[in-house]
Amino acid sequence: MQLLTFVTRMGLSRHLLGLLLALAATPAAWAQSTPCPVKVGGILPLTGSMAPITKKIAQAAELAIEHVNQGGGVKGCPVQFILRDDQGQPTVGVDAAKYLVDVERVQAFTGTISSGVTGPIISAVTAPSKVVQISCCSSASAFTDGRSAGYFFRTLPTSKTQAYATASEVSRRGMKRLAVIYVNTDFGTDMLRFYRGAHKKLGGEILTEVAYNDNQPSYRAEVTRALASKPEALLLIGFPKDAVTIIREWLSQGGPRKVALNNSMRTMDFVNGVGAQFVEDFFGMDNAQEPGPHVDAFNDAFQKKWNTDSKGPGVHTQYDAVMVMALAMNIAKDLSGPSIREAVRRVHTPGGTPVGTGPAEFKKAIELIRAGKPIKYFGATGPIEFDANGDVSGPALVWKITGGQIVTDRTIGLTDMQALARLVEE
Amino acid sequence: MGLASYLVFFACVVLVLCILTMGLNLQWGFTGLFNAGVAGFYAIGGYTHAILTAAPSPQLMGNYGLPWLVGIIAAMLVTAVAALVVGLITIRLRGDYLAIATFGIGIMIQLVSLNLESWTGGSQGITRIPKPLSTWFEGSLAYNLFYLVFMVVVVVLVYWALERILSSPWGRVLRAIREDEMAASSLGKSPLSYRLQSFVLGSTLMGLAGALYVTFIGFVSPFDFLPILTFQVWAMLIVGGSGNNRGAMLGALVVWSIWAASGVAVSKWVPPSHAAQGAAIQVILIGLTLVLMLLFKPRGLLGERAVVSRHLVY
Amino acid sequence: MIVQAIVDGIFTGAIVSLGAIGLSLTLQIMRFANFAHAEFMTIGAYLALAAVGLMGPGAPSLGLSFGWQLLVAACLAASLAGVLSWGLDLVVFRPLRRSGAAPLVLVFAAFGAALVLRHVLVLIWGHDSYFYTRELQLGVMIVPGVRVLPDQVFILALAIFLVTLLHLYLTHHRTGIAMRAMAESPSLSQVCGIEVDRVMKTTWIISGFMAAMAGVFSGLTPQLHPELGSNMLLSIFAAAIFGGVGSLPGAVLGGLLVGIAENLFLLVADPGYKPAMPFLLLLGVLWLRPQGILGEKTS
Repeated sequence: MQLLTFVTRMGLSRHLLGLLLALAATPAAWAQSTPCPVKVGGILPLTGSMAPITKKIAQAAELAIEHVNQGGGVKGCPVQFILRDDQGQPTVGVDAAKYLVDVERVQAFTGTISSGVTGPIISAVTAPSKVVQISCCSSASAFTDGRSAGYFFRTLPTSKTQAYATASEVSRRGMKRLAVIYVNTDFGTDMLRFYRGAHKKLGGEILTEVAYNDNQPSYRAEVTRALASKPEALLLIGFPKDAVTIIREWLSQGGPRKVALNNSMRTMDFVNGVGAQFVEDFFGMDNAQEPGPHVDAFNDAFQKKWNTDSKGPGVHTQYDAVMVMALAMNIAKDLSGPSIREAVRRVHTPGGTPVGTGPAEFKKAIELIRAGKPIKYFGATGPIEFDANGDVSGPALVWKITGGQIVTDRTIGLTDMQALARLVEE
Repeated sequence: MGLASYLVFFACVVLVLCILTMGLNLQWGFTGLFNAGVAGFYAIGGYTHAILTAAPSPQLMGNYGLPWLVGIIAAMLVTAVAALVVGLITIRLRGDYLAIATFGIGIMIQLVSLNLESWTGGSQGITRIPKPLSTWFEGSLAYNLFYLVFMVVVVVLVYWALERILSSPWGRVLRAIREDEMAASSLGKSPLSYRLQSFVLGSTLMGLAGALYVTFIGFVSPFDFLPILTFQVWAMLIVGGSGNNRGAMLGALVVWSIWAASGVAVSKWVPPSHAAQGAAIQVILIGLTLVLMLLFKPRGLLGERAVVSRHLVY
Repeated sequence: MIVQAIVDGIFTGAIVSLGAIGLSLTLQIMRFANFAHAEFMTIGAYLALAAVGLMGPGAPSLGLSFGWQLLVAACLAASLAGVLSWGLDLVVFRPLRRSGAAPLVLVFAAFGAALVLRHVLVLIWGHDSYFYTRELQLGVMIVPGVRVLPDQVFILALAIFLVTLLHLYLTHHRTGIAMRAMAESPSLSQVCGIEVDRVMKTTWIISGFMAAMAGVFSGLTPQLHPELGSNMLLSIFAAAIFGGVGSLPGAVLGGLLVGIAENLFLLVADPGYKPAMPFLLLLGVLWLRPQGILGEKTS
């Protein structure tokens, strides 16, 4: 009674405030038994300038969820995937992340692509709320420098791998005097930064660097500028849609047909967009999907479900991001953030039993986990091993376009990549 | 409770948007200035604060790690100066030309933030922006609650200050100029000077909002300031009712709620494989809502309190 | 290098001009900045795509990358776009005007309409890349150091042709003359018995038609995508205002100058700032000579 009088005398709003503060101070009473279904979130730019490449990425995520559920789910529960659009706008993305974490109560989530959106999500949601976030595609090297308190991982190697591998191949083909046209985003500038050092170290010279903004109607001016220094070859860093425009300009203006590309261009959209007869012997890099049954299984499954090939930026890494989340959630002793975080690295334990992609392999993995045995996940991109920062390093592959088809030229294994890195950085 | 935690967060964002919208309201609702470069002034405030207060980083020239309050005040000052410069260039322009010019300026500011990498971090942005009094609170919900209370105080202060200014002689002259410029100038009041003052004051509020937002999120990048933001703030003002500060705040709440809620709706009712089309429908619905609003309730939800004639002479 | 930039500028400028014409007309006659104008470029491009899908682009002829079928498709698309443009006025802008809305409210409604139109296109066609034709043209060196594509020459010729047609219309046809009268003084024109509605209808249809033509041919070199029109919005505004609002030769001149300026700018400046270029130009014009080069000085 006295408490009530006290409270009413102090005013209703302060009462409310007090109540909320009390709730905040209560240690979170997580349900001891896993509530079914287990919710997992996803944030991707389904609309906005990234939209052309996001469709397949979303399909990869959905395929992964399907495989997970067919293979037994998480701790015996089916997994429900809740996908939100960040529209390429940070405020929208952060709001979506907060909603997923607080209201939908997702135990982990994947996303997103643009660093401008991933950054604030890490800063405002992931780290404070202690929820694991695994990105398929956000390559800004700054994110894994510790600010995420260890809750952010990515299945995409930073552009360092690609950049060094590209430089190595460019050098091998004797392309010394190079012009670079790159997209003016975190991805482009990051990759160029790594590339510059490597190219120079391997004896080449970058004659001119031209940044381009995406979504322009014409790139004539950029191409003219790049050609002005009379380079013998071109390195193009960007995304397929605008890349098609740029390359067509380049060829129209008589630019040399020696062109190096980054991984986004490894898609028939690019080949057909420019025209197969014009892109003969163009080459590029990608993070290796080491040839092997697990990668093939993924490619086949993707083709079967969506009736389109699985080539394209982010597709394989997104599948792996979701699979890693699901595996980690099974390994973790409970579904709290810190437990899942700790479990992510145990998805790939040295000496563990290899498990691959697809529902059957997932089922196998769960059985091993239940028996307390370590596993070693080989995903759609190859072996997934997170370093101390939450990055994966990986082998790279060189692909080229021959006869209108994209074929793998050679692979640069992990040890070779590490040697290359040492060579460049010494 | 999860929902409470989300709502606290949501409310903080809405309160920042309230300040933005009230700044715009001063410029458009009370002075008739079509500022289509809202995102630019928001950006100047946000980046100034970030550059001054963020923890040092080897790649960036700025990041001085100064106290939070210094950042806020500097953000407002720098935005005011920028608004003065922009105002001097554009204030003479007639309505829609002013819109185009300020739109372009907003875009240029965004491009500068994207290209001036050594200061702004370029597309990677600036991170590790400190939150004031963060060590006093345990856990993110507790801190967000504190920030919510803090934001409520700030918004109330801003609202009160604006209302005082607008009912002062200065404010009355402003409205007189908006309604009938010739009459006002024949009374010896210089319309251009008043408009400029209003423009600068409104933009300063936008800069403040930028600094407060950046503090709350802890990260800033050029992608926070794309033209769509300007569109959103304008929608808030028009829906809520321009010429009315309470309308401005209501508009901020309503529009941002629609934006967030429609995202939730799409994620619940549209299967992931069609999410892209669902998202397109979301934008279409938002656009339609606005156009319909304009057609049927042009004064907004809380139209302006009629003080003088409502004919906007152009 | 400079010559190449100027030549490129003329060709880009031709497309900008076609887009600017419609905008200039609505800006002068309707007296509001129609932010939805650029979307009709995109609409035209996609409608032509649909038509081409039915007919095929035609085998390349005369050294161009397409055949007469694309021209037919373009005309069909542009006509439809013109009608749609008028439809937009009927549904959105006219009711707002009737209820006495401030011109700036119309601007905002245009922005909203633009958003809706663009995303309807996204809903139907998605974000995938589309082409009219897979042919790639190689530049022909006409003068040492200057390359030109046959397609570009055609577009320039087409633009000149359309502008000439329009000029004849404006100077010899009753409605065309009425349009010019309304542009100069709406109230006086009404006093003289000009049917305002008919003039407005024609203005919208012509605007939409021109914009769509610009859209189809700007979709020729790169590919089609939903932001095709909105990416050119700033350039078109700059061109219309630069040349002098309400003046047809002004819009053309403005378009060419904007095209040239953008290309020259890139020779000296960081391409990262390219989108800002039209605005710097615009600000300069508004500051120094707000009526544009060929416009009439209004108080």
